[in-house]
Amino acid sequence: MLSVKHLHLKHALQTVCTLEAVILRSFGPEGGQVLFTRDTGQAMLSCSGTQILKALRLEHPLARMVVECVWKHSAVTGDGSKTFVLLLASILRLIHAAASKAPGVSQWSTEAAEAATARHLADKLLAFAMTELDDLICVSVAPHGFCVSSEDFTTKTQLPSCPNGFCVQALLSSFFHTRLDYVHCDFLSGLACELLGHWKFQNDTLSFALQFLNDNFPALHTQVSGFPVSSSHVIEGQVIHRDFATPCLQVNNQPVKAVVVTEYLQPKLLRRGDMLDLGCGGRVTGEKSIIPFSAWTERSLESVIATLQSLGVSVLLCAVKQSAAALALAAQAEMCLVECVSEEELSLFVRLSGVAPISDCWMIQPENVATLTFCKPIQLGAHRYVHVAFCDSEERVGVKPCSLVICGSGEVQTEQYASAFQDAIRMLFTTWEPTRMTETTALKKPVQSHQCTSLNAHNLTEDTVCRSSDVYVLKPGCVIPAGGTFEFLLHHALLQHGRSCSASNYTNTGVGVSQILADALLTVPRQIYSHNLKSFLQTQTRVTSFTSNQPHHFMLLKNARGTTEDPEKGDEPSKLFTLDSGLESVSCKHQLLLAVLQCLTSLLRVNAVVRTHTALHSASHTHAKMSEESADDETED
Amino acid sequence: MSRLVKKSPSVCTDLPLDNADICNKLRLMRELLGSCYGPTGRLKQIHNNIGGRVVTTSSSSVLLPAIASSEPFVNLIRTSILHHVRRFGDCGLFAAIFCLSLVEQAKQSGLRAKAVIRSNEHLASLCTDYLKQGGCGCKVKLDLCSGRDLVALARSVVSSKPACVLTEPECVHISRLAVRAFLLTVPCDTPGSVSLGQTVRVSVEGLPVTHSAVVPGLLVDTAEDVYLSQPCSLPHPLVLFSASLAGDLSELGDGLIEVHPRVDSDSQVLSQLLELGNQVVRDGVKVFVCQKVIHPVLQLYLTSHGVTVVERLGVTLMEPLIQLTGAQPVATLHSAVQPTAYGQVGGLSVRRFGSKTMLHLQACGESAICTIILCHRNETMLNELKVTCQKAEHVLRLALREPSALRGGGCTETHLAAYSKSEVPALGRGCSQTEYLRAAEAFCRSLESVARSLEHDGGTSTIDPTHAHRWTRPSDVATERRGVGAGCCGCGSLDGRETWTSAEFPPADLLRDASVQPGVLDSFTAKLNALQVAVETANLALDVRYVIRDVN
Repeated sequence: MLSVKHLHLKHALQTVCTLEAVILRSFGPEGGQVLFTRDTGQAMLSCSGTQILKALRLEHPLARMVVECVWKHSAVTGDGSKTFVLLLASILRLIHAAASKAPGVSQWSTEAAEAATARHLADKLLAFAMTELDDLICVSVAPHGFCVSSEDFTTKTQLPSCPNGFCVQALLSSFFHTRLDYVHCDFLSGLACELLGHWKFQNDTLSFALQFLNDNFPALHTQVSGFPVSSSHVIEGQVIHRDFATPCLQVNNQPVKAVVVTEYLQPKLLRRGDMLDLGCGGRVTGEKSIIPFSAWTERSLESVIATLQSLGVSVLLCAVKQSAAALALAAQAEMCLVECVSEEELSLFVRLSGVAPISDCWMIQPENVATLTFCKPIQLGAHRYVHVAFCDSEERVGVKPCSLVICGSGEVQTEQYASAFQDAIRMLFTTWEPTRMTETTALKKPVQSHQCTSLNAHNLTEDTVCRSSDVYVLKPGCVIPAGGTFEFLLHHALLQHGRSCSASNYTNTGVGVSQILADALLTVPRQIYSHNLKSFLQTQTRVTSFTSNQPHHFMLLKNARGTTEDPEKGDEPSKLFTLDSGLESVSCKHQLLLAVLQCLTSLLRVNAVVRTHTALHSASHTHAKMSEESADDETED
Repeated sequence: MSRLVKKSPSVCTDLPLDNADICNKLRLMRELLGSCYGPTGRLKQIHNNIGGRVVTTSSSSVLLPAIASSEPFVNLIRTSILHHVRRFGDCGLFAAIFCLSLVEQAKQSGLRAKAVIRSNEHLASLCTDYLKQGGCGCKVKLDLCSGRDLVALARSVVSSKPACVLTEPECVHISRLAVRAFLLTVPCDTPGSVSLGQTVRVSVEGLPVTHSAVVPGLLVDTAEDVYLSQPCSLPHPLVLFSASLAGDLSELGDGLIEVHPRVDSDSQVLSQLLELGNQVVRDGVKVFVCQKVIHPVLQLYLTSHGVTVVERLGVTLMEPLIQLTGAQPVATLHSAVQPTAYGQVGGLSVRRFGSKTMLHLQACGESAICTIILCHRNETMLNELKVTCQKAEHVLRLALREPSALRGGGCTETHLAAYSKSEVPALGRGCSQTEYLRAAEAFCRSLESVARSLEHDGGTSTIDPTHAHRWTRPSDVATERRGVGAGCCGCGSLDGRETWTSAEFPPADLLRDASVQPGVLDSFTAKLNALQVAVETANLALDVRYVIRDVN
């Protein structure tokens, strides 16, 4: 017997508003952090919306759906999970208001009518966002920001006069403000800039470097607890999170030769399932003792060590635990041996040193030998690790490898800093993502966008936005001052868009849709300035006065070359918008809006929850999906 | 399948600092740790609910792991402080009390959390910058050439652990031993980067504290009837095995071995071992050490040939022994031991400490390995003494890197409080002047409350306005017991003859002549880190808005 529970618009609203209430505590400059413990008893500290929502372990299928959407969005962009919930709640509220005002049809119950109107509105919102939001952002928001080119990853020390020098830092700093304790954000963003500056591959694009950092981040950072955050630093080379297994530690500054071994140095005589038959009357080998076999493995080990010694190898990095004999012989041959190195760290080492790992110890070639500048023990907090630096990696890979040491007073804090770092890298990746023509962008009619965007700003689009075959595409690296500027600008643009559409005898619904979106957007700055309404109004007035009066006076930068040639021009935005409010990425915001609207439509398409009874109650999240699919053919009852 | 249950939703606590239960727990923790602070601190007995051993302690490194709470918020603070203690070995109680009273004061002040956090951060950086300055009034330069300063530093650590139950001469004795052991681990003439040696601690129960001693070299547990080869002038060759010599062959793999009844594998392996023993004896080895177990027949063979045998050395003593003797561990059974693998022992003797018989191995030349033998009357006190010595060693090592110390006895705290009061408020973003001033007041009160926690006998703590040092006026009972008047300030560098005049900052510094060194010193590095960690942890605690507990 199934129990069917019908879902109405107010249920969805209720659920999302509850989530919003949780999120609001840690949103904005007055927001705090959330401490949570996992089922394992491990404590975590976070300001990230995704982690907070996931930690709640919600049961309501609708809520789980929302959490799933938030999680998917932030896994890609690393940013905007709190704003996601905020926007979703405010759009839902507006839709609810619009739907309850809509003229009810008599034969339907009011709730069903509401649901239908809401669903209709949501679909139209999504359609609007898919077709026209792109252009609106490109035409009327992006020009007010500026492009930070990938060459600006130098830290603030290099070009203090150029504002772009600290643009990336400002971008990172305002990202960290949303995720961490306020006081350390500037320090950490400086650290992140330093790291990115080191990891800038000479021959490759920035997004390649960011992708590389994202993939290898676990191997590239070390968490140290018991020290203040300000002790965090960047160190040259790679830290291998194991200690030397042999006590022999020679401290010489000569180039060190190292090999990576993935198998046992001492061969195993018998694998699992093999059988050795001893003393069976001289049938096969006639061997009556185990001793020769044991002696053979030792001799084989000795010859491997001798080969390594002849190649001048003095460091062995092993993926597995080696036998005591292997350790002792290596120590006698004055080699340092590191056991049980994790797979990620070995693959990073292999990548940076450019040598192949050895799996068969009989086949050691000189190509397997890497040259290191040094290989020494390093004490980080409670643990002693192995610290290596690579020779001529700059010529080979085009990069100066370095690792990050993240300090904090406890594991909880270091964990939080590390995850914020990784999300920051994701956010940067989204910002500098190479522009690719999405299907929606390519398919939509350019004519329509011209008709509707009757803005005065066609001439200023060419700098942050490039026009390719009548379609506007956002350039990578476009940023805009934080603190609600994006929302104010888009709000303004949407209102103008709505007016122009109604003026040109467009259908009335388009107006409603852009009005809803415009109003919903204002919730975000309203929450940011919730403790200080005066500054909300001030900011809004400032932003809108710029757009209406002097549309040409924003910083217009073609690319980075323009910046370095023309520093006077570069100073402009810091006068217009106070740069100390930070920067945020336009493309992250854009993706966020799309994700919210997609989530909204899928949320409103559900009309019932069917609870099935099985022995196992843990599969309830599939219910939402089931009912979502069946919602289309089901009729209202 | 029937064991699978549905995940239940998490338990959520909104605004944990407004929660009465959590606040009570924090207050309790502050009172508990505050009453342990300092030389006259009260002791705590820890015992678990299943009848485990009772531990008497007042040391933060033992107390903090023991008072785990079910409340994650309390644990957050506890683990942060614990990490500091593990890294620096000192000032754990200072950090804990300071952090907890910062949280309490911030809550009492009723200010916005963000404003308090920003002011705290600002004040902490003011204080750390001031402490790092050369002309800081509470910093004392340490003279590493004279033992007196080092002993004073070690003594402050030892005397702040009342659970060791040491009399005054015993306290001095232990401090001297700690300094002596530390000096023995500093290598004499190694060019380039110096790596410190190691101190091995051996504890002996039942002997008076004054029997504790420091010996250069290693003491190794050995059998009662240890055989000693005839004393000869030459250094004894030593061989060190890291593989088991019990006759097992563990490196063959996971497969099966089928042995027919006519084959006697055991005796084959044993004869292999004896061959190895034979070679070692031929090479003139006098000491045979194995990390693991040695086959009894091999042991008998070796002792009958005049070799001293030590088995089951354990992995912790391997590295010091290698450093001491220069031997390289051997793990191959089928090939001859390389001549280069042998080490040298300079002296070999048997020592008895109470019930323990130990083999004393000494190095041939210079070596940075020493052993400290700690004796005490019972196990509880001995354990605390071990912890104390470990901390003293840690503090001394920290002093090697940064040869300064801070005035102890609460004088640094009061001085810092006076300093931060005198500084002109620098306004940060998002914090008004009034908010800053009130937060600064709370910060200073917290610092002073740490200094006040040193007094447990009902006396009153006062701060003089001239030097900003801490003074104690004992209650009548305490005066009789102690026999010393209120003649000295907390750190012991001022006596009551000074007149208190001005109340301005920087406070008058009458101690320009180096002869008046303060008697109580705190580790500079440890205290600086403790200050930063305490403020950071308190800020974090103030910033937490939600506690979500997964109860699955």
